[in-house]
Amino acid sequence: MVVVIRPRRVATSAVVVASALALSACGSAGPEPSGGESSGELSVWFPGTNQTEIDLVTEQIVPAFEEETGATVEVTFLDWGDMSTKLNAAFAGGTAPDVFGHGPAALADFVANERVEPLTEYVDRLSAEDQDDLADAMSGGQVNGTQFLIPLSLQGSLLVYNADDFVEAGLDPANPPATWEDVYDVASDLTVRDASGTIVRSGLLLPSQPIGRQQTFAFLLHSAGGQQLTDDGAEAAFASDEGQRALDYFTQLFSGSDAVSAGLGADYSNAPTAQQPLVLGTASITLLSPNSMQQVVTAYPELDLRVMMPPKFEGADDGHALGGAGPGLMINADSAEKDLAWQFIQYMISPDTGAEYTQGIGAIPARASAASTPYVQDNPVLQAFVEAAPLYVTNPNVPGWVQVRDTMDKYIEQALNETTSARDALDRAAADVDKILEANR
Amino acid sequence: MRRASFVAALIAMSLIVLLPFVWMVSLAFTPQEQAFGSLSVIPAQPTLDNFVTAFVDANLLRALANSAIVASVAVTANCVIAVLAGYAFAMLPFRGATPMFYALVATAAVPVSVTLIPLFLMIRGIPLTGGNDLFGAGGSGLLDTLAGVVLPYLVMPMNIFLARQFFSTAPVELAEAARIDGAGEWRIFTQIYLPLARPLVAVVAVFSFTGVWDDFLWPLVSTTSADTQTVQLALARFLASGNVQYGPLMAGAVLVTIPVLIVFLFNQRSFISGLSDGSLKG
Amino acid sequence: MAPAAVYVIVFHFVPVVYGFVLSFTSYSPLSRSGPEFVGGDHYTSLLSDPDFGRALLITGRYVLQVLPLTVAIALVLAMLVNRPFKGVGFFRSALYIPHIVSLTAVSMIWLWMYSQNGLFNEVLSFFGLPGQAWLLDEQTALNAASAMRIWKALGSNMVLLLAGLQSIPKELYEAARVDGAGRWNLFRYVTLPGLRPILVYVVAMDIIFLAQGFAEIFVLTQGGPLGSTTTVNYLIYTEAFQYNQFGSASAMAFVLFALIIGFSYLSMRGISGRRN
Repeated sequence: MVVVIRPRRVATSAVVVASALALSACGSAGPEPSGGESSGELSVWFPGTNQTEIDLVTEQIVPAFEEETGATVEVTFLDWGDMSTKLNAAFAGGTAPDVFGHGPAALADFVANERVEPLTEYVDRLSAEDQDDLADAMSGGQVNGTQFLIPLSLQGSLLVYNADDFVEAGLDPANPPATWEDVYDVASDLTVRDASGTIVRSGLLLPSQPIGRQQTFAFLLHSAGGQQLTDDGAEAAFASDEGQRALDYFTQLFSGSDAVSAGLGADYSNAPTAQQPLVLGTASITLLSPNSMQQVVTAYPELDLRVMMPPKFEGADDGHALGGAGPGLMINADSAEKDLAWQFIQYMISPDTGAEYTQGIGAIPARASAASTPYVQDNPVLQAFVEAAPLYVTNPNVPGWVQVRDTMDKYIEQALNETTSARDALDRAAADVDKILEANR
Repeated sequence: MRRASFVAALIAMSLIVLLPFVWMVSLAFTPQEQAFGSLSVIPAQPTLDNFVTAFVDANLLRALANSAIVASVAVTANCVIAVLAGYAFAMLPFRGATPMFYALVATAAVPVSVTLIPLFLMIRGIPLTGGNDLFGAGGSGLLDTLAGVVLPYLVMPMNIFLARQFFSTAPVELAEAARIDGAGEWRIFTQIYLPLARPLVAVVAVFSFTGVWDDFLWPLVSTTSADTQTVQLALARFLASGNVQYGPLMAGAVLVTIPVLIVFLFNQRSFISGLSDGSLKG
Repeated sequence: MAPAAVYVIVFHFVPVVYGFVLSFTSYSPLSRSGPEFVGGDHYTSLLSDPDFGRALLITGRYVLQVLPLTVAIALVLAMLVNRPFKGVGFFRSALYIPHIVSLTAVSMIWLWMYSQNGLFNEVLSFFGLPGQAWLLDEQTALNAASAMRIWKALGSNMVLLLAGLQSIPKELYEAARVDGAGRWNLFRYVTLPGLRPILVYVVAMDIIFLAQGFAEIFVLTQGGPLGSTTTVNYLIYTEAFQYNQFGSASAMAFVLFALIIGFSYLSMRGISGRRN
């Protein structure tokens, strides 16, 4: 059964499941308290405002945790988009919580300012089995090999196509293209124009809105065998032949008489379900997160939507998609309750809690073993996204990343609008990015 | 004839201006999956679920109560202090009044991004509150309290500016005559000028209420617990990145608009043409 | 009044002074070492920053195109609802509603109205006109943001001007009518001069707030396309809260501050003219 993201209903069922799970969490999956009974108070700023996760945390995890440890936990739920503003003020004033969540993009800046506690020692204490199970997610929470953030879920976006459009265009929906070159050819066949030549249905529509542009570029870049920064994170590495190949491809999608995409700059990733291009019939292939795709599939069961594994460029080793660690939890370096804080995080990533949490928010589970849970097994959409997990690559965790990302984004936009050539855009972006990285070192 | 065209113009303008709001109301009654699915204003399958979700999930009643408390305190303080200060600037010239007035207005021209953190540090450092010692150290001050939320709004410089502008048109002769009669300054203000200032007080009340009610950034950084949540923070619950819950968001937004509308309706009655009829009679 | 004065100094002046001091430092709220003095470096580098220069121009254009329209329309509306008739409260509220609806919620509606298959394009296609990429086209994006801002700002300006109209003594109109003044002359010689103090306020406040235009840009365009809607305050917000560079953000803020004060002072002088 596909889970409908309808807060009240999920919430109610969560309460029922919660009481059962709470017992098992205490009994078996619950970790041993490292420092005996603690009477401390723990403040947690949680990265998410989904009602299911709120219910899960406040009705299951916190009560079980409080009972076991004797601690009191105060949880505040915030969208991770609001987190930076609130954390900035709190760190400046010394009132930051013991545990807080954020997206990986901001991680390295907290690390550079010694605001977050290294967690490698704690992670080492997890069983080898657990470490293995969480490996895909954990790497996205590391800076220079040290663990600082524990991701609560994986994220990743994949190409999703309308099988009926394939059939109508004489293509075989059971055999989607495997290279970007073939994707382009297929997209050309799928593109529909009106009498004036304007594209009314894009064969392929990749995100080209702010931030989305950088993500699409990274998606293509990695599939061409390139990477965004050098391995040590010290310099830009995208101004390469692979980078040019990726950006030229991206630009070509929108430009000239051979274009296969309309609406350069439009943000469909965050559009309401009913306004999704696949729903409106204005695109045949788009890039979607598992959550968006599930919402579409649920609301429009008549659409035959399928997931395509990440294509690669001809000659490259593997296709990759941008994804990996989602928002996760960190421990304040000044916290007086670090052991307690770690216990709390452990609760969140325990197999049962983790599975229910990711199900509640419609995300990809952080644990590889979750592939065998009913949530994934009974959900073909999610199965595909879990299957692709080894192909996800994360953005680099370097200080100043947000500024680096925005800088790349600015020059990519210029190339897409053909106010400058791909090569030139990449070179100029690389020069600016090197300066930012230097200044943040 | 003229009246008909005047009414037609008003109706047309109101319709255009209300259009986005009408769509909000429509979405508030539309099931989540169908949001933005059609151009029709009347939802195909109207539902009240969104309102239930807004009330239950976002704890809207508590948030409405909190915002009402904060806004009422701000309205009272502004209607008294800002109006008095504006009156003083306009009618009781004192040394340094002009530079002080301009400096005050100028503070509104500094982007809030810059003043947010200093303000936060100050609220945290208020002595003898929230576990703080006499020097404002050791605790969290007024952070995460409604008092801390309202403190920066108590006197809004814009309202002082507005009051000064308003009183600057008031006839000075009335005060002079009263002074000759031996009336004190306080009496002159309360008996002569305050009654003239009903539209001003109404505007200050409406603006103070709206300003506090709408603010997001300050409550976001200064409060953390569910007990101190204001309405805009409550609404933010439905704005999860990439997963906006349109139905509950719009339902909540419509509900949250109603108290402001009531405050406005109550105050707009002070804008009665001809109120200033008696102004020169003294 | 003494406590009030102390309050104003503490809560309105101190944060500004603190921000001004920060503009001469390098400061991230995350850093443990606190602000680090760098002198006027931020200001000198702003001089040669093309992005900042462009943002200033965009902000200027934004103010210039929103201000006159919003004041003029608000004045018309205020005069329309400045008479006692049954139901005037309804119209006043209707016109004030945009000002009080939650910006984040209503911005979703505007995003949709401006989208490819949104309301505006549906209306165009009804008349057989081609659709526009309102927010995605460099030529239209700032205008689209301006339209939303005008819509949002109408109500407050209307209420202010309405209150201003109340303060004009009725006797002045009567006297002018006795002298045979027509409708235009009444407006020109009684209404406008009577509104002057409130108009000074409206214009000064609109300049101050429009020049800090940020929220509508943030929700509609994120500064794009191609930076064509990146206002100064958008840069300041990004610099401060995205990049954690409060020093340079403060420097930008005080350059903007100086310009805002300059322009509002000039326009206030212009409108008040010679005091009668």
